[in-house]
Amino acid sequence: MGQNGILTVEDLRLHFRTTKGPVQAVDDVTLTLRRGRTLVVVGESGCGKSSLARAILRLLPRNVHTYSGRIWLNGSDVMTLPEEQFRREVRWVRLALVPQGAMNALNPVLRVGEQVAEPLVVHGRAASVAEARRSAAEIFRQVGVPLDFLDRYPFELSGGMRQRVAIAMALVTVPDVVLLDEPTSALDVLTQANIMNVLKAIKRDMGTSFILITHDIATSSEIADDAAVMYAGQIVEASQAAQFYREPLHPYSRALMASVPTLRETKTLGFIPGRPPSLIGPPQGCRFADRCPARFSRCSEEPPMVAVEGQRQVKCWLYA
Amino acid sequence: MAGDVLLSVRDLHTWFELRRLGFVRVGWVRAVDGVSFDLLRGEAVAVVGESGCGKSTLAKTILGLHPPTQGEIVFDGRRVHGTEDLRWYRSRVGYVQQDPYGALPPFMPTQRILEEPLLINGVTRAEERMRRIRRILEEVKLTPVEDFLHRFPHMLSGGQQQRLVVARAMILEPQLIVADEPVSMLDASVRVEVLHLLRGLQARHNLSIIYITHDLSTVRYFCERVFVMYGGMLIEEAPVDELLRAPKHPYTQALLAAIPDPDPANAARMRDVPPGEPPSLLKPPAGCRFHPRCPVAIAGVCDVQVPPHFQPAEAHRVACWLYGAEREAVPAATFR
Repeated sequence: MGQNGILTVEDLRLHFRTTKGPVQAVDDVTLTLRRGRTLVVVGESGCGKSSLARAILRLLPRNVHTYSGRIWLNGSDVMTLPEEQFRREVRWVRLALVPQGAMNALNPVLRVGEQVAEPLVVHGRAASVAEARRSAAEIFRQVGVPLDFLDRYPFELSGGMRQRVAIAMALVTVPDVVLLDEPTSALDVLTQANIMNVLKAIKRDMGTSFILITHDIATSSEIADDAAVMYAGQIVEASQAAQFYREPLHPYSRALMASVPTLRETKTLGFIPGRPPSLIGPPQGCRFADRCPARFSRCSEEPPMVAVEGQRQVKCWLYA
Repeated sequence: MAGDVLLSVRDLHTWFELRRLGFVRVGWVRAVDGVSFDLLRGEAVAVVGESGCGKSTLAKTILGLHPPTQGEIVFDGRRVHGTEDLRWYRSRVGYVQQDPYGALPPFMPTQRILEEPLLINGVTRAEERMRRIRRILEEVKLTPVEDFLHRFPHMLSGGQQQRLVVARAMILEPQLIVADEPVSMLDASVRVEVLHLLRGLQARHNLSIIYITHDLSTVRYFCERVFVMYGGMLIEEAPVDELLRAPKHPYTQALLAAIPDPDPANAARMRDVPPGEPPSLLKPPAGCRFHPRCPVAIAGVCDVQVPPHFQPAEAHRVACWLYGAEREAVPAATFR
């Protein structure tokens, strides 16, 4: 394992300590991102998808209960690196993140050009501030921000422009992998389409590999090469995008897809009754079993990840 | 559905004064700038637009939360604002807010939240209040009722909170519900459930609904008619199927083209998006407010004169000079 992708996550586990017991936010997640491709991780609120991003970047809060597994980046296991080395050599250098709501978290008293150039200066990637600024200008061009915006402050920019700046900050060190956590969910429809166009262009021109974490299935299809579905801290399905959007396999993925309204065709919208299980002491067997229309006796045991049609994987007894 | 008008909005303007240092007037933010429409009894309409287009201000003006700067709102034959019977009006209009958790008082249990409007509106008998609370909780499917009566909002899931907000809006048996982005904070799987619920209530109670949203993909499942709002004005109106099939205004066309359906083919192409940003409502552009971004703007026309509402098809109105030659202009006052 770990050799076939630019980023491979193996049995990644991140549990948080609370007074009521450990929260199993990320529970034995295994994923592979291939070079130059985009892996979309879809899931609903509270399924652990943002925790997954933080676990991959080792941006951990204080109440960590368990943090284990392996993260192969370009063939080497970065999980074993000491914190200082990880900070110096991996985070934001080879592995960058556009956190959720980053566009509203820019430093209000720094010009956006300085903020975008900052990672280069901090990581010693630029010989001088002037050089860092030139790189920032280059990235601005890539993400479609006019160059005279370098000297502006965040409040002078629209939401779409601020989001581009946040993406530029992640790209300026030319990392191998960029994680995007809900990059378009707070934006308007036209701005959303614009940002997706920017990401497509970056992928085409710079060959960046992306992991896109989102709850918005329709928008995720704009850039997905591969797709994974997360439910209650676990990956329940992983497929190539072409197969996933046409015919999801896991009963949860199917129900989720059936609830997405479509503009161009009429369909009967479905919803999923009940609510996701608590991640403190989740059910023993399949975590979706309580809400699943296809459950049967075996679902009280935890299903394995089953390979279907060669490339696809689904964590469901129906396919075992 | 008969042509029985419940709500009539005429030439409505809601402007906000912008001051510097507290006293020097800098200008007006024209959040709603000349909106007219009629809403039939039992009809659901959607007002669609991007953030900052004035759609929430329109909702709040209709609810009587902002005084209109100009124009009038007539509800059930009575002029609403400037009269003493705002309470009469508000007991007939329900409001479903966007963020259910923010809209519910955190220190009140469900029963108290639903009882409050009844107390204010003079339902003095306790048994009568309880009867109505139970009935409405059953209608919004917060059952078994006993389980929910004493729960506080934080003990409910997002979907349950929004159903409680709907129950509160419905408890006085209103004739009109104004729902401002009622599902945008909810997960996809719950969203559909709440929309189904609202649609069901509408059919059972012959409710009229104004559904304010930025999400065009949900309107087809919810409404009969759609209004598209841009820069404080209604720029297009049509039955929902027609609007989705044959949008006329270049802005509506751009909006529809920008919305993806879940389809792996999307990844292979770029989307056409009009350049620029929505107009400033402080200094809106002259003429058509979309003309600086419009790919087919006619120089000397679109940048000079505000387009009136033309009628390119039955029941289809559009404020765009491209359709000026086809039909006589319909004066804005009869826009419906």
